[in-house]
Amino acid sequence: MHKVIERILNLLAFLLTTGKPVTADEIRTTVAGYDQATDDAFHRMFERDKDLLRRLGIPLELAPTDGWQVEHGYVVDPDTYALPDPGLTDDERAALWLAAEVVRLGGQVAAPDALFKLGGAPMTASGEPLAASLTEGSDDLGTAFLAVVERRQLLFDYREKARRVDPYGLVHRRGHWYLVGAEGETTKVFRMDKATRVDVGDDVDAFDRPTGFRAADFIPETPWEAGADEMVAKVRFGPTMAWWARRQIGNRGSLHEDSDGGIEAMIPVANPEAFIGWLLSFDDNAELLEPPELRQRLVDRVAEGR
Amino acid sequence: MTSPKTAKRLNRILAMLPWVIANAGASVDEVCERFGYTRRDLAADLDLVFVCGLPGYGPGDLMVAYIDEDEVVVELADYFANPIRLTPPEALSLLASGMALMSTGQAPPALETAVKKLQTAVMGVDDEALVVDLAEPPLVAELRNAATNGEVVRIVYTALASGKTSERDVEPWVVFTTMGNWYLRGRCRSAQAERVFRVDRIRELATTGESFEVIEHSASPEIGYTPGEEDVRALIRLHDYARWVADYYPVEIVSDDESGLTVRFSASDASVVARLLLRLGESAELVKGAEVHEALEDMRARVLARYGVIA
Repeated sequence: MHKVIERILNLLAFLLTTGKPVTADEIRTTVAGYDQATDDAFHRMFERDKDLLRRLGIPLELAPTDGWQVEHGYVVDPDTYALPDPGLTDDERAALWLAAEVVRLGGQVAAPDALFKLGGAPMTASGEPLAASLTEGSDDLGTAFLAVVERRQLLFDYREKARRVDPYGLVHRRGHWYLVGAEGETTKVFRMDKATRVDVGDDVDAFDRPTGFRAADFIPETPWEAGADEMVAKVRFGPTMAWWARRQIGNRGSLHEDSDGGIEAMIPVANPEAFIGWLLSFDDNAELLEPPELRQRLVDRVAEGR
Repeated sequence: MTSPKTAKRLNRILAMLPWVIANAGASVDEVCERFGYTRRDLAADLDLVFVCGLPGYGPGDLMVAYIDEDEVVVELADYFANPIRLTPPEALSLLASGMALMSTGQAPPALETAVKKLQTAVMGVDDEALVVDLAEPPLVAELRNAATNGEVVRIVYTALASGKTSERDVEPWVVFTTMGNWYLRGRCRSAQAERVFRVDRIRELATTGESFEVIEHSASPEIGYTPGEEDVRALIRLHDYARWVADYYPVEIVSDDESGLTVRFSASDASVVARLLLRLGESAELVKGAEVHEALEDMRARVLARYGVIA
């Protein structure tokens, strides 16, 4: 392993100081570690090394070596390479470490790697009786974040359609990552785990985020509020599960308690499918009374499997 | 591809060097603590740095890096005076963790300023474009307190599976959230075993006045369900929009083809699977599993009876 690290340190030192694009050939003849290699071995080595540099977040770019653009070479711009110093104190670094310990982003724990770049912190166990996992931190999510930060368009497939979206923001709520953005004239919400073939557009600052935009305002707090329908459902919850219904409805509807301890609730519904799904989690401890067409839809859904 | 271990080692070297350069005279202990080094590993990395530098590779071209008694010395390495910028996934992961902990209302004050500074450095001043909301339900704060102080709690709990309500004494260990739900892991004194409870199904909570010895449990945000001998098993085929089930439940994938995604589902109670199938409607079908079939038909009949439809 130390041969690779030595070679990369030499390569990076060279790239950060040359101040001009250098061709692969120049690198091969100049940088220690490549000189003994055969043509094939050099190309394999160099491909791997480029890949490693980029994975670490090093901006390795190709640029023409002269005005005629005949030849291209590699360049690392020291200003783009450097982390803009956020000016963190040691207490703040420790707090970030604690947060990263407690809250995991899906399977990938890049926390120490990222924190080292910020100056490191004593990595003690949090000791907090608390843990949280924020659903899948896939590469796609990182790509979407990049697009939000740099105001680049985001291209992806969603529900069997190719999309081109101006990404305004990302929200994590109820165990999902949501992208809020404009497709054409309309601001829409997309679930990131259902987006595939995610890619960013080339242009930075390709759009303006509306002033006063708040991504969270677009993500409703319950699944049945996420939709385009507008209706109010009347539901009766039996006494055994009334407490749970009450807790879940919160102040999103009006409640009336019956003499037997059950409740009758009027609940605004924007997504009937999600609402029916939620009601079915009550088994026969809930009855959808109105509107009739929604009631029928629930009955049909339950009956259809027979 | 180069191994992740090499990448990690290189990342640490390229982060340690700028810090040592900016903090001349730094002690070995401090560098080790800050970057998670042992003295030996630090010395090995400094040895590597010592033989690298600029073309020519003679004295004056190579970097200088060594341990002088208790001091870390790095010279002639000014091109590595800055740390590498964060990659988008790194920045997102730090910000998201920070915001998530802040949303529970239990974060140290330094976290708030840390997130704000990071946000400004990474995203400009825009602070409404990334939102992480853990939506902590009632009782989570009380349960965390009880876990920290080693207080036994008495809960009135409605089991998701059976719908049955019971009273239990629990030694709370860890409160965690995953997939949008909150859970309590602890030792149930009534069952005399480790159990996981869904916090929103805890109807009432009180401390009993008894205490237990707090041991540091791994605060892993995983439900960690392992199918037991007594569990019911079922084979389920998921279509289109029901495929998320495979990510949410501890299932074993059997096949994935045009007919759909077929999974083997284990649960402590047949009604868990039955309720899920009822909710999924046409987008899932039960391929095999007599007990689940029975529970499903029973549930269907009860719901339909509630609606005055005779099965």
